Amino acid sequence: MIPEGMRDVLPPESGQLRAIETALSRRFEAYGYGEVRTPWLEYAETLEVADDDTLEAGYRIHDQQGNQLMLRTDMTVPVARLAAARFQDKPLPLRFYYVAPSIRPWAPQRSQDGEFVQAGAELLGLRSPQADAECVALLCDGLTALGVRGFRVALGTVAYYTALVDSLGLVDDDRGKLLEALADRDYPLLESIAGKADVSDDALKALWRTLELSGTRDGLAQARKLASSDAMKEAIEHLVEVRDLVAEAGFGDAVVFDFGLLQDLSYYSGTIFEAYAPGVGLPIASGGRYDGLLGRFDWDIPGVGFAIALDRLQEALEEAGAVPAAAPATLVFAGGLEEPARAGELRRAGWAVAAVPEDADVATRPLLRRQGLSYALDMAGGDILTGGWREILRALEHR
Amino acid sequence: MRLGLACDGGPPPAALIDVLGAAGLPVAAMAGADPPALIQAEGDSWALAPGADVLTACLRGALDVAIVGKDLLLERRPGVFELLDLRVCLDHLVYAGVAGNGRGEPPRLRVATPYPGCTWRYFAGAGRQVEPIAFRVTALAPALGLADGVVDLHSRIAQEAPELVVREEIAACSLRLVAGRAARTLCAGRLEDLVERLRSVLEGS
Repeated sequence: MIPEGMRDVLPPESGQLRAIETALSRRFEAYGYGEVRTPWLEYAETLEVADDDTLEAGYRIHDQQGNQLMLRTDMTVPVARLAAARFQDKPLPLRFYYVAPSIRPWAPQRSQDGEFVQAGAELLGLRSPQADAECVALLCDGLTALGVRGFRVALGTVAYYTALVDSLGLVDDDRGKLLEALADRDYPLLESIAGKADVSDDALKALWRTLELSGTRDGLAQARKLASSDAMKEAIEHLVEVRDLVAEAGFGDAVVFDFGLLQDLSYYSGTIFEAYAPGVGLPIASGGRYDGLLGRFDWDIPGVGFAIALDRLQEALEEAGAVPAAAPATLVFAGGLEEPARAGELRRAGWAVAAVPEDADVATRPLLRRQGLSYALDMAGGDILTGGWREILRALEHR
Repeated sequence: MRLGLACDGGPPPAALIDVLGAAGLPVAAMAGADPPALIQAEGDSWALAPGADVLTACLRGALDVAIVGKDLLLERRPGVFELLDLRVCLDHLVYAGVAGNGRGEPPRLRVATPYPGCTWRYFAGAGRQVEPIAFRVTALAPALGLADGVVDLHSRIAQEAPELVVREEIAACSLRLVAGRAARTLCAGRLEDLVERLRSVLEGS
């Protein structure tokens, strides 16, 4: 028995996961990101600065001094903590990546294991659309390199919809209800609140159309028409610049505007984005700008980043028929335990060799068996080749 | 596109079929269907199954959109996008209790309900203590002495336990069109057409 929501990963899946992790790490490194590893345990008060609802349910324990510790529930906050503690005297920007598991109590609705691995990148110290665009392009680059087909990155901004709600001039009570309805993604309720609060009919209709659908033909035009304040106009133009830069980087087809995009993490402050792939119902990656987060660790610099959920990415790759090959097939060598030198020779020639005793009862292929002074080689689907050691080596070289 | 219709214990309701038909959707194939069923029509597939299952399939990307009851959405808060109120199967989620037992509200209400999450949020939100008791058919719960009252759909209470008195209305319910998070981005064009067609039917009626 293992606890609810946990799982073991077995070969060959473990090998496929390793291949995915390695491929993504290479992409991150190609953009100048350096890997960081942080401890499983943080002080609870460190993670709590994120002021994030998902923390409420996190696993907590006490150390021998009575301090409350917490198993990390995501990686962005530990990376922010690490940057503020150790890099304040270093030139900006900073680029970090990680491939690491986090843990949250399992909830069947969330469709994610309790322990889940994320591959993510954080770009700290830049406030510009260029920085957002680099992150989105890096995400697209990684997904493309792995062979995810038909994915889309929805691009939105926290700044726009909060300004939009502000612009309606609602009293505090209605405003609160409206934001709650927005968080629940309940558009009929939004409509009725705004209807009662006497918002003009045209503004209202345009508003819901803008929020309710993503990437539709006239989403951007609608959003521009609705932009009644400088904050909203700035938010839109910022996003347009991000999109244009991502297109210049070669991923224009993958990006769609979504002014109704919402993120469940409360530390996001500007651009936010989510990647979706055919056959997977929840985002395979999500990210955004979190300009206030490092300030909570006494280093007021902006930041933007994203994380790919590897379990969902794996689903998307299965859907696309693009799961990377695990390690090469293992050659079972019956008699290899008695002849470590020869097993070693095969390994130096590039074979993965599992040595078993000469008399072992083995049914898997490929199989090499010592028979007295000669050897029998049984490749999957081929004839059995019998001969001396040199002959066998030559035959294996041609495989 | 892959669409799901919540059918709990029977074919899809006639009022819903009328709205879908008026919006030009292929309802002929569905009207006589016997759920659970998977129906192919005009290049789309329609899954007719219990609401909770339709919603799960939608959330996990096996269906793009679903038509489910608001009661279920209130209970599960699943993070799908609720696009449209179809204004059929109108009902209310209510709190009902035994008539005139003369005693005031106990300090901690025991409430039998198929909607424990909703019940908790409604009472706790008003600063009242409640113990939601998960119960599928609530009619007998007060008579068994299990609960002080029930939270359930008004139509169900009226039919199964007419002796109970409605004390509070919690929320209005009807069938809603919802889209999964992925579908909202990956099928945005189709979804916009669908919403547009249904909206014009509703606004015309």
